[in-house]
Amino acid sequence: MSIDGEPGDADETAAPVDAVALAIAGHPIPVESFGDFRTAARDLIVRRIPPESVQWSGTQHAGGDLLSAANTGLVPALPADLLDQPPAPPPRIPRALMEMLQGAACYRAPDRWGFLYKVLWRWQLGQQEILSMADEDGARLQHMVKAVRHEEHDMHAYLRFRERPPEAGDPRFVAWFEPAHDVLPQVAQHFARRMGKISWMIGTPDATVAWDGSTLHATGPLMRSAADVEDSGEALWLTYYRSIFNPARLNAGTMHGHIRSRFWKNLPEAAVVPHMVSQAAAGARKVGQLDTVGKRTGTTIPIAPEKAAPERQQPSSLDDCRRCDLWQNATQAVAGQGVHHAKIMLVGEQPGDQEDLAGKPFVGPAGALLDKAMDEAAMDRRKIYITNAVKHFKWEPRGKRRLHKTPAQKEVMACHYWLETELETVKPEVLVALGSTALKSILQSGSVTMKDHIGKPFRHEGRWVVVTYHPSYALRVPSAEARHEAVAAIVAALKLAQRLADGETPE
Amino acid sequence: MELIDKLEILADAAKYDASCASSGAPKRSSEGKDGIGATNGMGICHSYTPDGRCVSLLKILLTNFCIYDCQYCVNRRTSNVPRARFTVDEVVKLTVDFYLRNYIDGLFLSSGIIQSADYTMEQLVAIARELREVHQFRGYIHLKTIPDADPALIDAAGRYADRLSVNIELPTQDSVQRLAPEKNVHTIKLAMGNIRLKLDEKEAEPKAPKFAPAGQSTQMIVGADASDDQRILTTAETLYGSYKLKRVYYSAFSPIPQSPKSVPLAPPPMLREHRLYQADFLLRSYGFQVNELLPTSGNLALDIDPKLAWALANREHFPMDLNRAEPAMIARIPGIGLRNAKRIVELRRMRQVRYADLARLKCSMKKIAPFIVTADYRPARDTTPSDALRRSMADVQQQQMPLWPELQAA
Ligand code: SF4
Repeated sequence: MSIDGEPGDADETAAPVDAVALAIAGHPIPVESFGDFRTAARDLIVRRIPPESVQWSGTQHAGGDLLSAANTGLVPALPADLLDQPPAPPPRIPRALMEMLQGAACYRAPDRWGFLYKVLWRWQLGQQEILSMADEDGARLQHMVKAVRHEEHDMHAYLRFRERPPEAGDPRFVAWFEPAHDVLPQVAQHFARRMGKISWMIGTPDATVAWDGSTLHATGPLMRSAADVEDSGEALWLTYYRSIFNPARLNAGTMHGHIRSRFWKNLPEAAVVPHMVSQAAAGARKVGQLDTVGKRTGTTIPIAPEKAAPERQQPSSLDDCRRCDLWQNATQAVAGQGVHHAKIMLVGEQPGDQEDLAGKPFVGPAGALLDKAMDEAAMDRRKIYITNAVKHFKWEPRGKRRLHKTPAQKEVMACHYWLETELETVKPEVLVALGSTALKSILQSGSVTMKDHIGKPFRHEGRWVVVTYHPSYALRVPSAEARHEAVAAIVAALKLAQRLADGETPE
Repeated sequence: MELIDKLEILADAAKYDASCASSGAPKRSSEGKDGIGATNGMGICHSYTPDGRCVSLLKILLTNFCIYDCQYCVNRRTSNVPRARFTVDEVVKLTVDFYLRNYIDGLFLSSGIIQSADYTMEQLVAIARELREVHQFRGYIHLKTIPDADPALIDAAGRYADRLSVNIELPTQDSVQRLAPEKNVHTIKLAMGNIRLKLDEKEAEPKAPKFAPAGQSTQMIVGADASDDQRILTTAETLYGSYKLKRVYYSAFSPIPQSPKSVPLAPPPMLREHRLYQADFLLRSYGFQVNELLPTSGNLALDIDPKLAWALANREHFPMDLNRAEPAMIARIPGIGLRNAKRIVELRRMRQVRYADLARLKCSMKKIAPFIVTADYRPARDTTPSDALRRSMADVQQQQMPLWPELQAA
């Protein structure tokens, strides 16, 4: 962004100030707003007038710098031929710096404009460390920006509106606040967003702003102190404030650390604090309850314990399984799904992240791939049974995600009990082992390897077993080609399983 | 009963829930519109009470009648407390009135279980609906979800609320069974899982109806059972990973009037709760894992913060050269926060980092000194034993009182 930006909120009607002429004459440059400053600073910089040679004067509450060091007449003289030189090009100011300057300009300090000009000057000299906290001026700049932001935040937080009686007309709500920096304009925007079409007014010692429901109006000071309005809503607030406090945790230091003391005098709740603290310190501290609540008579609820428990679906026995520890970190056990007397049963490894939440096998990305493979093999998901060797999701935290972890052999063995139950009810003729965990579970052996069995169907306990990759293996392999092959192998295995289920025998 | 009396009882009963934040909602504004309320994503604390905690939301119970008998809870059915119940309109009116006076940023509504989980949840949803649809309230709404309620009701809650929470309350299934007999870890997990699925769906399909844009959170009570910090943090880590929680809140158990024998008579040290929050922050934002902070079972140290404790236990990483170290490792140095770690990395792109830079960045020099090397500084205490360093850097000389001496002896 160039320094010749929008004129900002400068007073357009005022006669333009010739900052360069004033500086040469040794006069202070009057600045009322950031827009004024920006215009003046641009003219001074293109004329290469160093910060030591400029005096600034600001608005009264800026601290009125009549007595500040810059005004003691010790301004270094400017070179006589200054105006003969061609002007320098206006510096390019990055948006971030411009925003910082604009923020810092709200900071009430007698030398604020002079300091901001020094920052600009150093920037155009190429001193980028002006943006770093480790630079002395940079630290001050950031400190000013932060203090202004802090003040804005405090005003958002600790300003209290009082409601005026409806017959008094607009504004319906009034507030009084004493900000330490010039933050009223931006804070007014905040309340305009918050209050919709409801009218309000905020008074401060040096300015007032009012919202009529659609437009903001800024004027000079209208109020002298906190709004003198009776508001019955305040009693409710004080009750809430006292009741939400937990005497057992008394820690007034933290409270004082957060709300700076200058805000207390205008905060309605501040009036009840001393009493709350002394009561808490004098005994109520034993329990968390407010004294006045504790003194009321209470009731117990007459209901028999057995009637109190909600009616829930009984957890399945699988949900109650404690044969290994995997239940502990999983959401739920995921049982197999499918028709009862399916001829084909697909056995995967274990539920994944999505399956664990949904309670259904093969619904995540691996499930989608399996669906596609089944489509290709013309296998109807509604005619088969799909399950996993292990019924609870085993995982490890990785930051905020769950990283799938292969179940250990002892978990596979423990969970085989459930696969066995499913085999007994479904009585499939063909088992498709998707991956090595499934194969190990089916054969109940930790030492079998996939490559001995892949593509070679064999008989086990009276049924055919077809071995192929797990769909998530196909998702994991890096090359497109290997992935293609893996999917083709799965499709082939599914086709083979169907032929075996139809009574064909492998050649 | 007058509104003000109900407020006294039902705010008093709500203060044991630690969640308070009002951040994470999408930006909303009422400028020039009917209705009221704005959110800017950040949330504000509007006041602080003498317990040092902030007030940012109107935090109340719809009612403190409750048919459950959770031992740690002041509202359990066997508790002899004054009872009250707001009407839907009363909660709505209080929220709007408080909001207009700038006391609060929104509503945090919870409730005892009355009649049934579904009935209670319906009432909570009715209040949120009335605020949003009738009053066009655009402030923040956080609803406590009743885990046993019908998932359809939880869906509805997510349409009106910015945040949903389901409290796990205790870190182990055994403790829940013992201290909250009507609750059930299984249904709590299912409710959280259901909320996460809905959040995932919304994320994958931006045009789907909105659902709890500020996410979900939970709370664990500390010191009501014998679980140690390692157990608590491991549970938290599990919950963060499983349900993508925005926050796990830790609430130090507060002694309650006529406390049942099943829970302790004294609160745990408040500092313990504080250390858990510090550790939780290290888990969420610094990439620490629980087994780094607490490799064996036990509690976090009370005399020093968990990051300093980690550094003292892992001296092989130190002193760390700020001009060379991995950015992620710089943030692991005690006394350097995430922001300063970033600033240091930015600065060293321009020039060498020097000792005085750190003071200007307002690093805690006392903490950082033994752990860093800069262009012009090497710690003299590099070889000082960790024990001695720890004594010199302790926050407060405070001994942890065993809460459950008999269990620890066993
Ligand atoms: S993984 Fe299997 S054996 Fe282990 S707890 Fe779950 S159902 Fe039981």
